[in-house]
Amino acid sequence: MTIKKTAMSRRTFVKTTAGLSFSISLGGVLAAGEPKPKRAAGQSADAVTFTANIWVSIGSDGSVGIVCPANEMGQGSMTSLPLIICEELDADWSRVNVVPVTRHDEAYGNPDFGGQLFTAAQASVESYYKYMRQAGAQARQILLLAAAENLGVPLTELHTEPGLVVHSASGQRMNYGELAAIATIPDPLPEINDADYKSPGEYRLIGKMNNRLDIPEKVNGSAVFGIDVQLPDMHYGMVIRAPHEGSHPKSASPQAAELDGIIAIELLHYGVGIVGKTFDAVVAAREKISISWSDPGVAASRSHTKTLDEYQGLANDHSIKGSTWHERGNVASAMSQSTRIIEAEYQTDYAYHAQLEPINATAHVNQAGDAAEIWVSTQTQTLTVYAAAKALGTSNDRIIVHPTYIGGGFGRRTHMQYVEDAVLLSKATGKIVKVIWTREDDVKNGLFRPASAHQIRAGLDETGRVHAWHHRIATPSVLEYFKPERWASANGQDVISVKSLDNLNYDLPNMHAEHLIAERHARIVPFRGIGAGYTKFAVESFIDEIALARSMDPMEFRMELSHHSVRMQEVLKELAAFCEWYRPRNATALGLGTIGYGETVAAGAAEVSVDTSSGEISVKKFWMVLDAGLIIDPINTEAQMQGAVIFGVSHALKERITMKNGIVDQSNFDDYAVLRMSETPEVHVKILSTDNPPSGVGETGVPLTGPAIANAVAALTGARIRHLPLTPQRVLTALRAAG
Amino acid sequence: MTWFKVNGKPVESDAGATPLLWVLREHLKMTGTKYGCGKGLCGACTVHINGAATRSCLIPVSALEGKDVTTIEGLSADSSHPLQIAWIEEQVPQCGYCQSGQIMQAAALLARNNNPSRDEIVQHMNGNICRCGTYLRILSAIERVAKA
Repeated sequence: MTIKKTAMSRRTFVKTTAGLSFSISLGGVLAAGEPKPKRAAGQSADAVTFTANIWVSIGSDGSVGIVCPANEMGQGSMTSLPLIICEELDADWSRVNVVPVTRHDEAYGNPDFGGQLFTAAQASVESYYKYMRQAGAQARQILLLAAAENLGVPLTELHTEPGLVVHSASGQRMNYGELAAIATIPDPLPEINDADYKSPGEYRLIGKMNNRLDIPEKVNGSAVFGIDVQLPDMHYGMVIRAPHEGSHPKSASPQAAELDGIIAIELLHYGVGIVGKTFDAVVAAREKISISWSDPGVAASRSHTKTLDEYQGLANDHSIKGSTWHERGNVASAMSQSTRIIEAEYQTDYAYHAQLEPINATAHVNQAGDAAEIWVSTQTQTLTVYAAAKALGTSNDRIIVHPTYIGGGFGRRTHMQYVEDAVLLSKATGKIVKVIWTREDDVKNGLFRPASAHQIRAGLDETGRVHAWHHRIATPSVLEYFKPERWASANGQDVISVKSLDNLNYDLPNMHAEHLIAERHARIVPFRGIGAGYTKFAVESFIDEIALARSMDPMEFRMELSHHSVRMQEVLKELAAFCEWYRPRNATALGLGTIGYGETVAAGAAEVSVDTSSGEISVKKFWMVLDAGLIIDPINTEAQMQGAVIFGVSHALKERITMKNGIVDQSNFDDYAVLRMSETPEVHVKILSTDNPPSGVGETGVPLTGPAIANAVAALTGARIRHLPLTPQRVLTALRAAG
Repeated sequence: MTWFKVNGKPVESDAGATPLLWVLREHLKMTGTKYGCGKGLCGACTVHINGAATRSCLIPVSALEGKDVTTIEGLSADSSHPLQIAWIEEQVPQCGYCQSGQIMQAAALLARNNNPSRDEIVQHMNGNICRCGTYLRILSAIERVAKA
């Protein structure tokens, strides 16, 4: 894809080529004469394409191509982002084709990720909204100008209807396809002012009931996920990974020639790759290979219990200063003047993403070994390109990525080991190689949400108000492991590790939030909700503990704490009515959690029962109230909230990774159980319609779920569980402690 | 050599011990049936064998002699099965990876009981994992068809 640079800002560059199919062919990377994998057909060959800006291209056949910079993993961005452009372009939504981005290209990169293409952190709509809105409005202006000239009428007498420019006075109309055939890019480009945007009352698509574009393909088996890719003469690869991080294969036997259907056994620095003509052959060969590994060193002594003990010691040792994440007022002075100090420790275990599509990637490296085409379910084209280019020792522009549908991301597909696998094995064999990890490969070699340990102290003044708040969290830096180049310039600030530690929706006049950057004892990556998944567990649990100490209702206490936050006050009031907070229950109780996540504000209430003999918690119902500003797609937003709560319940009740002697104990869905239909609560979602700019929704629901459940259990039984997940064993221990 | 039918078409395979899942996906290139766990724990690979919902990751091809296999691709020619329509009306899928298995599992239930209770639905569907948490919409979609 070549971008013709002009004097405009980078986001209005005119794109000179545009593909309109799911998989666009860019050519030029693979040397001539090499087999070119077959790809889906593009737009009808005889259509002329008018490229209005880097985001929008319109065919003379009336089709509209809209580039979507985010990859689709179930969050709905493939629909909601193009919808924003389509709304302002006033195009016919039924004629829109979504165009993926197949390179690392900063013009499409997320400005909130430093220009990287990165689908994560519920950031897509929040980050791209203003650009996409502008691109749509600008393209519409260009079409209006072309129509005015062609019809010989003043611009001001024209308006648009979906896919049409209309001159009401004369009854003349031109459709966007006709205009695409004659339009030119004006110089200078039309400037877009506030008045050029639709008012919300004029929206035809935003906030309405729109079906997601990806769903029809997902009910008949035709949706192509990374693992589904089929290419001519494609070979299959697997990697037997070292049992411990940092260990290397010294030798492997037998040789490929002695194994049916196997063309290569490759010693990689982190494992042994097997490439075969069929998947069956690779699976069979895998069982026959014996490997001698190098000494893993300290990695063989890792254990989850030792890790948490170490982290808790760090959190509690005030002689060690952490990296300050947030500070306001003077916590030391306020604490010393407190009439009462409350303190608690919280811990959270490692968690595994359990995305249902196992890890995979398919690569085609050219004969020279300096260029590659990659088919992969990835959350980031940019890091995919970087990983492939690094593995080949080539430049980023020599890598093409075909992003497929993603069978669950949740952060797992932000780390690129599998891209490295596919590229190295394709390079070694000269074949197109599809690498598949088994479920066991993924769990045993997983990249987890880190374990964390917390100590929080609150100092209350004589009126009982919290006037000092000191939160020390010990957990490793996720950035340092998965994005070292960003960590190098992060000044010790790791948003992945400690997201939402600032509690901005609570008025805590003197507060200090410190990150004790602990040693890493597992491979770690972002996980849906990132650090908020544990920071909110600690904070929201502690809020209830303070409320109890003050004999205050937890809802009233949160209203007091959030008095300065209009959005949180509204959300809490709605929630209180929605869940009937003040209605007494028999044998069940409610518990609360709140969150501010980016600009989004939400609160939730769990209704639970507890089997006091087995320690089993049952979450009966969950109510969630969300303010994410302007809602692009209400049906999908509700789905995201339901899904986030179910994900959150799963993870609060059941999910933990443990390890002994550096080996992960779990391996599949039998010993890493996730929530099933019979355990799923009713989830009631209320979306507040506010005129704030749209903010993210995909992650918000996850972090507040765990503390809401823990608070409900405490309200019902008096047992306070300070360790996530809330396993039956921990419930029983807490019940005994509560007497 | 094993002879069986997939979506009405005759198939012969010498893959013997290879699970049906991989014959469908990598030999026949029918990728609508998904690999999730390989151990019958998640339900993503569910197909019908002689009408019964079966985990294709556990059944070797050699056990299929003379059997009729139906996959998501063969449930209907044009996404017109009532469950497929209901899945769209209820906007069920998120990532979508489990949904072939969910639909095939549900279709087997409705084929023998066109008016299941909620408990019967939940019990029947409980072996199918959806990590995105679409369970509530799956329930709504099945109940929509059951009540129709």
